[in-house]
Amino acid sequence: MHIDNSQPLEYSTQQNQLNILGFWIFLGAEIMLFATLFTAYFTLADRAGSGPTSAEIFEITPVLIETFVLLTSSFTIGLGVHAMRLGRKNAMMAFFGITLLLGLGFLVTEILEFMTYYHEGATYQTSAFTSALMTTLGTHGGHVTLGLFWGTFIILQVKKRGLTPGTANKAFIFSLYWHFLDVVWIFIFSFIYLKGMM
Amino acid sequence: MKELFPAKQVMGFVASLVLTVVALLVYYTDMSFTVGMTILLATAFIQAFLQLVVFMHAGESKDGNSIYTNILYAVFIAVVTVFGSLLILLWDM
Repeated sequence: MHIDNSQPLEYSTQQNQLNILGFWIFLGAEIMLFATLFTAYFTLADRAGSGPTSAEIFEITPVLIETFVLLTSSFTIGLGVHAMRLGRKNAMMAFFGITLLLGLGFLVTEILEFMTYYHEGATYQTSAFTSALMTTLGTHGGHVTLGLFWGTFIILQVKKRGLTPGTANKAFIFSLYWHFLDVVWIFIFSFIYLKGMM
Repeated sequence: MKELFPAKQVMGFVASLVLTVVALLVYYTDMSFTVGMTILLATAFIQAFLQLVVFMHAGESKDGNSIYTNILYAVFIAVVTVFGSLLILLWDM
């Protein structure tokens, strides 16, 4: 294994560089996946049938909490990667930890929001609108849930093995995943929530 | 401690907060649907671009060109899928 010390650890071997490129290609596929979900949502958003419409169930407060929490978590994981490049293992683990806590906060808020919808009579089966809405939000929320487990294992591995080309590479790839989830949320926030409440 | 908060990322974070607040004007002020959607399209795409460049370091390695090409292609397919469907199914063209 050839290690190039002129590069950050996560790029230091050819395998590492390929892993990062490969993950970007996966993110390209994820963009297309979310595009199809948004397509379904935009097409069906006005088909509320006898159920509630988007203007009736959307509330600004949980949306604001989710948006600022996720935005901040995207910032803290960026700081985590920066700390990793400085070789500051403890600072890196702290930033990753904060990121995951914010992620958990996001998820709890979203689950409470879904429960509110349920009590207001907007379930998965209510209308084409609620089905498309919950499939889109649920796919994003599912990604966040997966990210919480993935990130926890990354922190544990860094704690156990220290910052090596291998663990740095995994941590960097996880940061790409987390930033991507924030990008998807920006579109959900703008074109599902704000558009629906306009 | 200061070295843990690089100016570039702090500025990126502040910029995304500002863009989010601008997007919220759509909710908090009274404006037409067209103006609102124009603002949302602008703030969302600028913010996505900001994440890509500032936080995800898309262009920093020698694979930068391949990464940008791949993302651009994915975004192209996404835009065609969304707007193509809207054109046929909702806008009756």
